[in-house]
Amino acid sequence: MFSALEKYRYAFLVGLQSNIVYRWNFAIRGFFSLFHLAAIFVLWTAAFFGRDELGGFSLNQTLTYFVTLLVLQFFISAFNEDYQISEEIRQGIINQFLLKPINYFLYRFSIFVAARLVSGALVLVPLVIAMPFVHDALTFPAEPWRLAVGLPAMMLSAMIQFSIAYCFGLLTFWFLEIQGFVILSMAIETILGGQMFPLDLLPTWAYQIAKYLPFYYQMYFPAAIFTGRLSDGGAIAEGFAIQIGWVLALLLLNHWLWLRGLRRHTAVGG
Amino acid sequence: MLHYLKVWLASARYSIVRTLMFRGDFFVWSLVELFWMVVTLLTIGVIYQHTDSIAGWSKYEMVLLVGTSMMIQRLLMGFFWSSLFEMGRNIRTGNFDFMLAQPGNVMFMASTRKLDPDGLVNLVAAGAVVIYAAQQLQLEITVAGVALYLLMIFCGLVIHYSILALSISVAFWLANAQGLEGGYFTLTEFSRLPKQAFTNLATRVILVWALPAVVVTNAPASTLLHGFDHTWLLWLVGCTIVWFGLAVFVFHRGLRRYSSASS
Repeated sequence: MFSALEKYRYAFLVGLQSNIVYRWNFAIRGFFSLFHLAAIFVLWTAAFFGRDELGGFSLNQTLTYFVTLLVLQFFISAFNEDYQISEEIRQGIINQFLLKPINYFLYRFSIFVAARLVSGALVLVPLVIAMPFVHDALTFPAEPWRLAVGLPAMMLSAMIQFSIAYCFGLLTFWFLEIQGFVILSMAIETILGGQMFPLDLLPTWAYQIAKYLPFYYQMYFPAAIFTGRLSDGGAIAEGFAIQIGWVLALLLLNHWLWLRGLRRHTAVGG
Repeated sequence: MLHYLKVWLASARYSIVRTLMFRGDFFVWSLVELFWMVVTLLTIGVIYQHTDSIAGWSKYEMVLLVGTSMMIQRLLMGFFWSSLFEMGRNIRTGNFDFMLAQPGNVMFMASTRKLDPDGLVNLVAAGAVVIYAAQQLQLEITVAGVALYLLMIFCGLVIHYSILALSISVAFWLANAQGLEGGYFTLTEFSRLPKQAFTNLATRVILVWALPAVVVTNAPASTLLHGFDHTWLLWLVGCTIVWFGLAVFVFHRGLRRYSSASS
């Protein structure tokens, strides 16, 4: 059992090394994210002017939500995994995986975990620099259970993020160019994943619909647990059930697309 | 001048023919840009469900500001984005040699090689957002007011072009750094905010006074909302001259460092 997983440990280690090579790209991205955070601070501070709360939460709670989201993004978001998978299919690099006893999904997932560890560690650098400026605005709830519940939610979110990117990558079996689909989906994920505003600010009917979509569990769900926007035990348990359901559904979809895609795939060359 | 117009028209014709060859791509990319515009408008809609004003700007005043920002961005995307993005990549790979052999100013040739009709199609959508907001606000629109607004939009386009060209020109010095165009997108985030929202001294000095992020959109939007104010016009024209001059200077300094990669 463990020896079968050994190969993925090596894929993870290679992923770690190759992502450290791109440390400057991650650092630049992290640096620009701070400006994005500054824009959010300016906008929401202005929106809160003259009022103590908006949607039941204070300005500091809202700003804490966005800082948490930024950190989560670097730890669990799929950055360019879809393009990498797409390139490997288009250039025929996947042919070598078809001939070896290695599961392509697990191979890519191992590299994804390595990449997020590197980008997650690197975002902490600009965040430490920004800490003196944002420290006063941060207000995390003190309950330790949030960490115990939020971390598994975060892991499941990472799986949803990766599975969606993997699906888009596999679309290359049918379409030569996937960039348009990816950016189109990114717009939907941005709004329904809670990156533009906390989802609880949506009208109740829209929030209820969003709760059943996978985007809610890509980022908002763990962020809401960590920052105190979700506190009701029943709602969190229900969230977990839906999140696990989406993970399983996406894994099945991944597998189905892979099998169907391979039927269309032609390996050329010797 | 006529020579450059002919060169630009030839490039534009080539880009349109190319777009017609890849109609599916054109459709998807037009939809992508439209979706992102909707994302921004939805965000405004949601925030204004919980408040009446952001820094003294009402919902439709804010929509007008964001629509103005979209118009400038669509113009930049339509006329310059692809060419400038490719310029950064070509500098890194050494393929920029091709541009040096073109019949005209290198910066002009490198900036206008490609046209993106999908960006220009969405210019209509951005314009519709501005018109809708103006109607909701029941603004008195005059020919002179519209002319001034369009002049300011043009200045905004020149400033956005200059910022993007500056970001890309860094590639002459740092060949390995990618994603520098992110600097441009970072700045556009601030251009969707009203000047009055920058209450903190540091953000006010950096983003309102030092960088042209705010003036680019606030000047035309305020002119449409409150009428002509010579301060806005002088500020915007001044910024246009300074930032375009800086972009031209930095690009040509960088060009001197370009060492090619071919044999």
